[in-house]
Formats: sequence, structure tokens, C-alpha cells
Amino acid sequence: MKYTFAYWGNYTIAIKTLLEKLGIDLIPPEKTSSKAIEEGSKIAPELYCFPLKVNIGNYLVAIKNGAEKVLMVENVGGSCRQRYYGIVQNKALKDAGYNIDVIVLKTSPKEIYSKIKEISGASLLQIWGAGRFAFKKLRLIEKLEKIANYLRPREKERGETSKFLRWALDKIDKVKDEKEFTKIKKEILGKISKIKIDRSKKLPRVGLIGEIYTVCDESINFGIEEKLAREGIEVHREMNLTYHLKKGIFPWKDWQIQKKIMPYLESTVGGHGRDAIYEMLHFAKEGFNGVIQLLPFGCMPETTVRPILEKIHQKTGVPFLSLSLDEQVAEVGLQTRIEAFAEVVNNHFIKYNK
Amino acid sequence: METYLGIDVGSISTKFVIINEKNEILHALYFRTEGNPINAVKKGLRILKKELPKNIQINGVGSTGSARQLTGIITGADIIKNEITAHAKGAAFFVPDVRTVIEIGGQDSKIIILENGVAVDFAMNLICAAGTGAFLDAQAFRLKIPIEKFGEIALKSKSPTPIGSRCTIFAESDMIHKQQIGHSVEDIVAGLCQGLVRNFLANIAKGKNIKSPIVFLGGVSENIGMRKAFEETLEEKIIIPKYNTVAGAFGVALIVKEKPPKKTKFFGFEVSEKDIRCTSFQCKGCPNQCEVLEARIEGEVIARWGDRCGKWSS
Repeated sequence: MKYTFAYWGNYTIAIKTLLEKLGIDLIPPEKTSSKAIEEGSKIAPELYCFPLKVNIGNYLVAIKNGAEKVLMVENVGGSCRQRYYGIVQNKALKDAGYNIDVIVLKTSPKEIYSKIKEISGASLLQIWGAGRFAFKKLRLIEKLEKIANYLRPREKERGETSKFLRWALDKIDKVKDEKEFTKIKKEILGKISKIKIDRSKKLPRVGLIGEIYTVCDESINFGIEEKLAREGIEVHREMNLTYHLKKGIFPWKDWQIQKKIMPYLESTVGGHGRDAIYEMLHFAKEGFNGVIQLLPFGCMPETTVRPILEKIHQKTGVPFLSLSLDEQVAEVGLQTRIEAFAEVVNNHFIKYNK
Repeated sequence: METYLGIDVGSISTKFVIINEKNEILHALYFRTEGNPINAVKKGLRILKKELPKNIQINGVGSTGSARQLTGIITGADIIKNEITAHAKGAAFFVPDVRTVIEIGGQDSKIIILENGVAVDFAMNLICAAGTGAFLDAQAFRLKIPIEKFGEIALKSKSPTPIGSRCTIFAESDMIHKQQIGHSVEDIVAGLCQGLVRNFLANIAKGKNIKSPIVFLGGVSENIGMRKAFEETLEEKIIIPKYNTVAGAFGVALIVKEKPPKKTKFFGFEVSEKDIRCTSFQCKGCPNQCEVLEARIEGEVIARWGDRCGKWSS
């Protein structure tokens, strides 16, 4: 049986490694293209949130490549509509005439373990090893993304960082052995420090907050980090897969966040709604020159907290831009807003940091 | 004479402004884009060439508007600026202490909040064109009123008819309905203006700190009915400066003049006589499948843009 899963930015590499090491026969998803989004939107329910449509688009490409089953990780409990993704996607695919099963993995350790065991037949040791290797890859990917955000606006030769990142990710993707990986990691980190930059440059800083899927996948957010870097802005982003995993394992992180945002919101609104408020408060306190909220169209938690974020913006004076993304958003419209926002950010920077 | 040229090519109208060293507007053009930005740019350059004195020297060119990229490339502009920055600049020149700029154009509507002459916040319609000029245009056509008369007629109304205006399509059906049950044209037109203002304030200006002085720009600001509706709703005076429809082009001309290039890249007015073509193709290099655009003057490729990785544009 050939399995596939949804594409999600650079993290796809780590997920792919995990499943491969478990011995699952895999048709990895291709990078999300505008064509895939279009095809997915065609058969997905119109009013469902945007990531669901993109996921289906990914599956359709994989099905063409021979995939027979889909693995979908779902959140449990009071999260958001993501917890119905598996079942809705399954139905959308079946209604469109695809005879394919979407297998749901609920994010509770016990259930994941038993499901994985059922699908792959891997031993506990094998699962542990696969998890460790995938996590190592994930950590390196996230580290590189962070470094790239620092380098990009400072690089001497435009585009060098992104080019390097593509090369490095390809290397990380291809390595199948943990020992080999350690070597490659060293090589990558060595090379990335050699990218020529202008260290003396003091730049305006912008924090990227919002819904995790759109924030972390450049194929969905039109490469917003690169776009901002081109305007001479240093981008910071706290949200990544590890952040999400950590919160799943250590629930007290949520309690701490709740305590900090108490004046603005007294309960959860699902998803990472509370995190958005917490992050914006944090960025404002750190003296950032702007905050951008990214959300997929139809995302309930992020739409709910948007007025609160507007309020923080009014109170603290930190420039704020909210961008809702879906299959109908045109890149030119987004570009105009980013350019104008960059101007506002620069004005803030000149006023407070120079 | 040393001058600077600002070009603003929008979805519905195209604006050209020439300013001199003293920031005085020597010449301003405003005409319809008619769905063809390249032709509109050529037309503007042709008119300017004919109407301007021969001793004029262009020291710098700036382009703005939704077709700013294309315009910048085919004219050889020195600066390509987004329309929000350009309008903020233009408005702050006319009213130095301006705090709020409302700009409603053909398909865009935006609000810009300024402090000490610089933009600190803005909002723009993203997925809905409700309440923009194109809609008023269509309704004027349907009611068989010339769009220039729209405001005048609205002012005649004593009791504006409420028209649902959350969505333009429904506003239109509501309007037809109100017409069919016998409301007068001026009441409907005035109701429409109020509806659009309500829509603008509820959707675009939501959560923004609107403070006086308020400047109203863009094609729709020509409509005195809209101005009155804004004044009534906001209970503030609305300033409509001279050159309200060309403020973007004026703004970008000011921006170029502030940081003038050593030598302008402007191709000259002659480019209007040349054959300019623009085509696009999809790059198959990676899954991004960027739509790459290509501009040619007399068959020669002058620029490619639209790709994310820089394979074509550099």
C-alpha cells in the first residue's frame, strides 16, 4: 500500500524521513503549486478553511503519482476545524470519485503509537530511531530558516541566502543515514556562515505571527519572508513545528501564555489564537517595528483574535498588518500591501530606533 | 526647465503629473486607462510631448498605481512606489498636518493614517471591491446619469433611501427594487453614497483611528455627494484639495524629486511612438511555476519580472 501526506513547507522533509524510516511505502507530496491549489479548491467545500483545500490539492497530485492512502494528523480537543480535516477530506475525495482512504492520526501519543504500529509494523525501537532522526532533521531545518531570516536582508549578493537554503534543504532531504547527516549538518552550518553580509547594518524588525500552517509554508504565503527581506526588513518568527510539538507535550506553556494575555482574552479561542496575542505583546515589548498576522481565509481562531491584535496595535503603536490568504488572493495585491507596510515599518524605525 | 514626472496607472484611470523645482504642478493629465495600461502610458506621453514647451528637461520619473511595475519598466522610471506611499506623500504636501487620508479609486479603496507627515497605518480593500468607483460608474450608467453629475443629483435629495450596501451586487438589486417601488432617483443616488460611506467605514476603516484633518482623494472624491455623506457620518470636515484626482502621480513625482537620480533612466517621450509589447509565460523550473512577464520594446526584451527566484528577472 502506498501512502502519502500533505505538504507543509520545509517540514515536509522531516515528516518524509520519519515515515520512510518507519518502513512505510511512501509517495511523498510535491511542493504546493498554484495548480494543486486550484485543483484542490475545486473539490473541497467552498466555505472550509484554506489549508484543507491545499491539502486535497497535494493529495490529488500524489494520487496521480500512485498514492493509495493518505495519512492525516489531526489535533484533538478544543482546537479548531483542523480536527475534522481527515473526515472532511475523505468525504470530499470520495464524492469526487477517488477511491482513497484518509487515515486519521489523532495527536495523542497512545493513539499515534498504535496506529503507526498497525500501519508499519515497526518495533518500538524502530519508532524511537525514526522519530529521533526526523527530529534532528527538523531542528536543523528550523535553525536554517531562522539564520536565513537574519542573513537575507543583509546579504551582499541578492538571492544568495535563498539559493543556499534550497541547496541545503535538498541535501537534508536526500541524506538517509544518521552518521552521514551529522557530517552534512557540519558542512551546511560551515557554509552558511560564509555567506557575505553587511554586519554593521541595523535594520527594522518585523514579527510574523498567526496561523501556523500559513506562517511556516512559503508556498502558501507567497514567500513573505523573502519579500520582506527584499524591503530591508529582518523577519522574526517564533511559530514552527517544534513550538507546536512542545506545546502538545508540555501543557503548562499554554497556562503561562494565558496568564500573560489575561487583559485581552480570558479563554481559548482554539488553534493558536492565544499564541498570536502573546507573540504580538512580546514583539511590541521588544521594540519591534511591525507585526504581520498571516491567516488562511476561514480560520476561526485567527479571525477571532484579529480585533484584539488591532487593539494592541492602537495601544502600543507598533505597526500591524493582517493578511488573509486563500486561493483567490492575487500576489500583486499582497505585494502592494507589503511594500506599503514596509514603508510604515521604516517610518517607525526612523522615529524610534535611529 | 528642470522637471519631474509622476505617472499613476490605475485600474480605471491614468494620471500624469509634471512638477518643477518649486513643487508646482506644471501639467496634470487624467484620463481613462480603458483596460490597456501600455496604450494609456503611450497616450499620456504623446499628449505631454505635444503640450509641453520644448525646453523642458525631465530629471526623474516615478511610477505608481496598480500597474506601477509595468509602467516603470516601459518608461524607464527611476523609482517605482506603491500607491499608498505615493498618496500619503501627495496628501501631506497639500495639507501638512493631515491625519487621515481616504482614497477611493476605480477598484481600490484605502485609508491611510499619518503622523507628522508620514504613514503610520493603512488599510486597503483586499477581496471585495464594494464601494469603489467602478461600482458607482456602473450604477450611473444603469440610471443613465453621467457620472460627473452623480454628486450634484445626490445633493438634491431630502430623504435619502437606505440601500443595503454590504455587498455591491446586493446593493444593486436593492437599488433596483427601491426604484421599482417608486423612490426618486436623487433619493436613491444619495442613499447609494451613504451606503458606500457606511461600507467603507465598516470594512476598510474598521478599527482605524480616524482623526481630523481628513483628506479625501481619488476619482470618487470628485463626487460631492460622497463628500457630504462622509461629513455627515464622521461629523468632521472633509478636505478635498485641488488636484485630488492626481495626488498619487503628484506624490510619486515628489518622491523622485526628493532623491533625484544622478541621471534619469527615462526613455524619453519618443517611447510612445515605439512598439511596446508585453507577454507572459509560466516557468517550469520548479513547483512554484511562477508567471513570468516579459516586456519588449521594438522586439527587444527590456525586462522580465514576476519570478520568485530571480532566474529571469536578474
